[in-house]
Formats: sequence, C-alpha cells, structure tokens
Amino acid sequence: MIQFEHVSFGYPEHGGAVEDVSFTLKKGGVTAIIGSNGAGKSTVSRLMRGLLKPVSGRVLLDGQDIAGMKISTLAARIGFLFQNPDRQICRNTIEEELRFTLRLTVPDPQRREACLKETLEALQLDPQDDPMLLSRGEKQRVALATAMVHQPELLILDEPTTGLDYRECTRIMEYIETFHRKGATVVIVCHDMEVVLDYTDEVIVMSGGHLIRKGETAEIFRDAETLRAASLLPPQMIDLAGRLGGEYSGIARVEEMRDAIVRSRKAVRA
Amino acid sequence: MIEMKDFSFRYASGKRNALNNLNLTIEDGDFVGIIGNSGAGKTTLTYAINGIVPHHYKGDFYGAVTVNGLDTVDSSPEQIAAHVGSVFQDVDAQMVASMVEDELLFGLENFSVPREEIEGRVAEALEQTGISALRHRDLDTLSGGQKQKVAIAAILALRPRIILLDEPTGELDPQSSEQIYSLLARLNREHGTTIIAVEQKIGLLCRYVKKLLVLEKGEVMLHGPVREVLESSGRMEESGIHVPRIVSLHKELSGLGLVHSSAPVSMDEAETMVREALQ
Amino acid sequence: MKGVLNYIPGQTVLHRLDPRTKLILSLMICVASFLSGRVSFLIGLLALNLLLGAAGHVLPQVLRILKGMAKACAVMFILQVLFIQQGNPYFEVIGIRITDFGVRTAYMVVLRLLDATIPLSLMLMVTRLTDLSNALVVHWHLPYQYAFTITTALHFIPVFFSDMQVISEAQLARGVDFDTRNPFRRFALMAPLSVPLLVSSVKKTEQAAIAVELRGFNLRTRTSAYKVTRMAGADWAALALGAALIALSVLMNTL
Repeated sequence: MIQFEHVSFGYPEHGGAVEDVSFTLKKGGVTAIIGSNGAGKSTVSRLMRGLLKPVSGRVLLDGQDIAGMKISTLAARIGFLFQNPDRQICRNTIEEELRFTLRLTVPDPQRREACLKETLEALQLDPQDDPMLLSRGEKQRVALATAMVHQPELLILDEPTTGLDYRECTRIMEYIETFHRKGATVVIVCHDMEVVLDYTDEVIVMSGGHLIRKGETAEIFRDAETLRAASLLPPQMIDLAGRLGGEYSGIARVEEMRDAIVRSRKAVRA
Repeated sequence: MIEMKDFSFRYASGKRNALNNLNLTIEDGDFVGIIGNSGAGKTTLTYAINGIVPHHYKGDFYGAVTVNGLDTVDSSPEQIAAHVGSVFQDVDAQMVASMVEDELLFGLENFSVPREEIEGRVAEALEQTGISALRHRDLDTLSGGQKQKVAIAAILALRPRIILLDEPTGELDPQSSEQIYSLLARLNREHGTTIIAVEQKIGLLCRYVKKLLVLEKGEVMLHGPVREVLESSGRMEESGIHVPRIVSLHKELSGLGLVHSSAPVSMDEAETMVREALQ
Repeated sequence: MKGVLNYIPGQTVLHRLDPRTKLILSLMICVASFLSGRVSFLIGLLALNLLLGAAGHVLPQVLRILKGMAKACAVMFILQVLFIQQGNPYFEVIGIRITDFGVRTAYMVVLRLLDATIPLSLMLMVTRLTDLSNALVVHWHLPYQYAFTITTALHFIPVFFSDMQVISEAQLARGVDFDTRNPFRRFALMAPLSVPLLVSSVKKTEQAAIAVELRGFNLRTRTSAYKVTRMAGADWAALALGAALIALSVLMNTL
C-alpha cells in the first residue's frame, strides 16, 4: 500500500533528518515506528502523508508517487493525527469539527451522515460539546475523530497516547484497533513499548535517521541488539521471558507467563 | 517537610473540589511519585505546595498547607519558592533566556544571591546535572532532554530543600526520561533533597522513587513506600490506573499462592520473583 | 523565519561591544541615511553595512535579508517612478511621465530603506537579548518589567511560528486546500486557525508567568543583573564612527 524508495529528507536547521529509507507496508497491517527523539520517526510519518517532500527518492501510495498529488486531495485517503490536539481543533462544537473534515473528503451526503453518526457513537462523543472545554484525553478523542471520521484507507498517528492517562490511552487504542479491523491500514509513531506490543503486528526501528530494522513486533522486541542500537527498552514480559530463557522465550503477555509458570510447577511435581 | 491538614480546594470556576480533604505529610528527604488519572488533582496538588494555589489561581481554600513551617496562604509564592523549586512540563514555556548560563542566572539574580556566591552556584548546579559542557550553548540548539536538565539546573542553583516536578518527562523519549530520574534519585540520595514528581510513566517511577502517592478524584487513594502501595495494585487497576506488568504478574502469582515476597520494582526483582514461584 | 532576526553566537568585535553601543550605532547609521541626500553616501553606507555584517560573521544572514527585501524594494521603486511627475521627463506613456527626478527619488528611497533596516537587524544578530535588556535596565533605568516583556515576546516568536506551521499542517492533512496558489483564498483559509494558535499561546504564556513568578521575578530590582557591561575603548571608537557618519552625511549635503 505504502512504499518508500530510498527516501532522504533533511531539515535545513533542525534534527530529524532521514537518509535512504526504504520499506513497504502491506494493506491492512498495523505498523509502529519506534526510536528515540530525533531518530526521524515523525519525519517518516510526515513524508508518508505528503506533508514533507523527499529531497531524493519516492513515496508511493498504491504504486503512485504522492509527490504528484495535492496534499488536500490525499486527505480523503489518508487520515493523520498530530501529537497535540490543541493544534488541530478549531470549531465550536464537535459536530462542526467533524462535518468540516467530511465536507472536504466525502462527496456523498448520505455517507457523510452515516460516517458522522458512527464515529460519534464509537468514540462516545456528544456532538454539541465545545471541544475547547474538554480535558486533554477527551480532546485527543475529538482529534482522532476528525482524523478518521471519513474512514480513510490509511490512518497515520503521531504519538496518539502521549500525555494521556492509562484509561484514555486504552480507550483510544481500542478504538483504533476496531477501526483497523474494518480493513484500514494503520501506522503509529509511539514511545510506549507496551502499547506497541499490545496493538501492532509490525515495527520499523529508526535510529539516527536510518531505518535499522523492520519486522514482526514481538520478534524485534526479542532482539536485544537492535533495541540497544535504538536506545529502547523491551516490554517487561518479553524482557523477563528472555532472562528466563528456554520454554519461556516465546512469551509476551502476563497471562501467558502466569500459565507457563503454573505448567512448569506441575511438570516438576509430576 | 510538607503537611496538609483537612485540605480542600475548589477552583473559582470549578464545580467540585479539585482536592478533597487531604491529610498527608511528606518528610524531609522523601522521594515521592504522584500518580493518578487525569482530573485526579495531581497538578493542583503541586500548585498547593508551591503556593500557586491560592495565590495565582483563586478559589475556595479550606484547611492548611505548610511547607517547612510556612503557611502557604500567609506566605507569598516567592517566600515559598525559597524552599520549593518547581519544574514544569512545558520546557519551552519556562525558559526565559537564550543561553544556558543566563537561564541559571535569572533566579539567582532575582533572589539577590550575593555576587561572589553566584559563580560557584552556577558551576555546581551545572556539574550536578552533568551539563557543564553546555554552559555557553544556545537553548535552541539543545534536545528536549538537555533542556529539561537546564530547567532542573536553574532550580538547583537556588538550592531549594524541596524540588517539585510536574511530568518532567512528558515530552521525552525513554532514554532521556531514564536520565532525568536517575539524576533526581542521585540528588535525593547524595544531597538529601526532597523530591516530588508527578508522572504518567509508572514503571519508570517505581524504579526510582521511595514512596508513591496515588490520587483518585481529588482524594488520596494510597500513600506509602512503593512496595506497600503496589501490594494494592488490584485497587489501582480497578480504577483504571496503570500498573507495571511485572506488578500485575506479581498479583496473579500471589493470588495463586505461588509467591509471598513483595511486588517487584525492577526486572532483576521480577526475575527473582519468578524463580521463587518455580521453587 | 529562523536565523534572520535571531542571535547568532560568536566572539567577533561586534559581539563583544557593549549592547548600548550597538543600539546607538545602529540608530546613528539610520539617522545618517535619512539625513543624507547623496547617492554616493547612501551606497557607501550600504557597503559599510555589508562590511559590518562580514565583521560580525553574519554576512550570509544579512544577504538573506537583502534578498528578502528585494521584492518590496522593486514595488517601492516602481510606485515612486510612476507617481512622481515633477522634473524633466525621459518619456511619456499613456499620460504618465517618467522623469529624472522621479527615478532619482525612487532609488534614494530604496537605498535609504535598505540602509536603515540592516543596522537594526544586524544588531539583533550580534547581541543577546538578555544582555541588551540587562544593559538597558541597569544603565538606562528602563523598568525591568518592560524589558522582560519585550525580550520574552521576541523569544516566543520562533515558538509561535513553529506552532503556526503545525496548525496549518494539521488543517492541510484534513483536506483544507492550503496548497492553492491563490493568495486570497489561502488567507481566507488561514483565518480560522488563529483560534488554536491563540489557545496554545495563552496556555504557554500562563505557564511562563507562573514559572517566572516562582523564580522570583517580582523580587527583581534594577541592580539584580549579574553580568554588567562596561564601555571600553572599542565602544567609544564605534560611537565616534557613528558621529562621524552623521557629520559626513550633513557635510556632503552642503557641498
């Protein structure tokens, strides 16, 4: 669906440059982009959305170079959630906010109504609320709604859970997962490795502007060397499983770990 | 020492008490991590300690808050600031200068620290935060983690006995977050500075702090040494408060009667816990 | 925006001058350019500006400002030429006379504009704002609150611009047609964005106000500043140069 071909980009005066990045994302996957600050994660997400133009190389959407498409027309196909909800909300009510996105992206009026209703229900939003008066977590839900109310094929999220408490974080991620199950492709830039483990099936590891690895999520988290190179810590259960080794090495979740411990105690006793 | 007695506060614009009937003591030399969901009153609690409440944000203030014996209602924010240094989440908003050294000078100048003492204090604060090499750098050229260290150094130079931080790692990556907390732990250990930090990343917090304070809807749900608080991880999970996975595993295993030791806070301890369960 | 009016760190003679000297000298150059009626003098002043830029190791930034002003200068030039009808006509098109006086006034205006803009921006490039405000507070008794307000405002400009950048990107990502070439349409589309910009700025200012209050802002007095600058030989030499420029500009007018 998305293909990066030897993409390079450099900000004139800031960090966050990327160099010779190539990868392909298949349709219907959930991919995380991980790495430390300044590794180039946000740059990759912006290049993917067409907000930045590569200095060299190409970004292809279904085989077509997006450099030739207008950023505004791409909006119908790609949803994008920015880090800070304060910077993307500008209407008086949630309904106006969502209708604003729909008016620019969905031509069919009946589908517009259906999309609006579905999103309001799924994210439990009151259409008449003033988005400015909501809490940070609620605002983030509104911002997410504006990014995907028109049901784009590709949804890109730049640190969707930063600054949210655990309850809001879970709520937002659950909703993104539901949306993904309906067939959308999702890309998440994320710092929280537990979230990455729970909700994504593939990760791209960035370090110093280079893509250093891409692969299945749990597998990458078991690769201590890659994580060290990207200055990342593994999720706790995977770390623990690695320390225990042997029959535990494939474990990634608390329940699996508990069951494995109970099993081996039984085996020892038998 | 910080003491709150029957303390409640409601913002002038608020419908309910942001903090309700708090009775708590934070001892000298403590390292306390404050956690809780949004709206639990974490930030308001920090404001109550540094005097922003009730001096900057007005509202209905009931009860008493004392900081090293100063009653926060009767003392000015500056008087309190001589005891409590505050570091905020938005790193850029709290910077006043364009160069690292000037950022440190700002507070020292304002509090009329004697001229001959200033150089020593600046050098010491930079040394303690490990950023002596950045002294003459422009703030724009620093990373988020470096800037946060500058903010901490600027507070350290004022030599407060208590340092209060509101989500100091909110915008930092895991590695820089780790650096900030190991710095705070060192200040606490080597200089006995009392440290109070509001933080979302509980896993990180548990590895460094001595005590946890869990807030829920403006009230204290739990307060005590880290391991004791984590014994009640079930209650925290029920309220939707994040608990590190190794602590969840501890809860599962002790529920089955397989472990009897207290909850682990580090990966080494988690490994020991599993080995105990396998015996 | 970044790098044009910002301080560029350095150790050159210009960087080391007293902030007061730099402020007065740049004002003196402006005054000289307005007093002078001689093209040769104005061209000389422009050369001096570039020379100062080179001395402060900020010539590329100065040239960037010149380049940025080129359009405005061209418009000014054309307007002056078209509107000034006095003097001997070179030729006439549809009732508009292009005169020698018009052309001369036009390039004088453009030269003055350049001569007067560069010194002040040059001064900001080689002077730290905190040093400037300290000097003004300590020596010229400017109330600290005012000095602080100004330096903070300047300090927030780049932050403000990067916020604006993100906000317009966010709207672009939602399908707002910012990539239209029509400037009027673009402006109409930008207008609603002032809301989120205002919200984020107010929040930032509030945080900033609290943060400085807790760092003893209200206790500060005129003499609080630690680094106090003093006038040295180079400063007096620079001021003498400024005075000489003004004298020269007046003198050349009378010749």
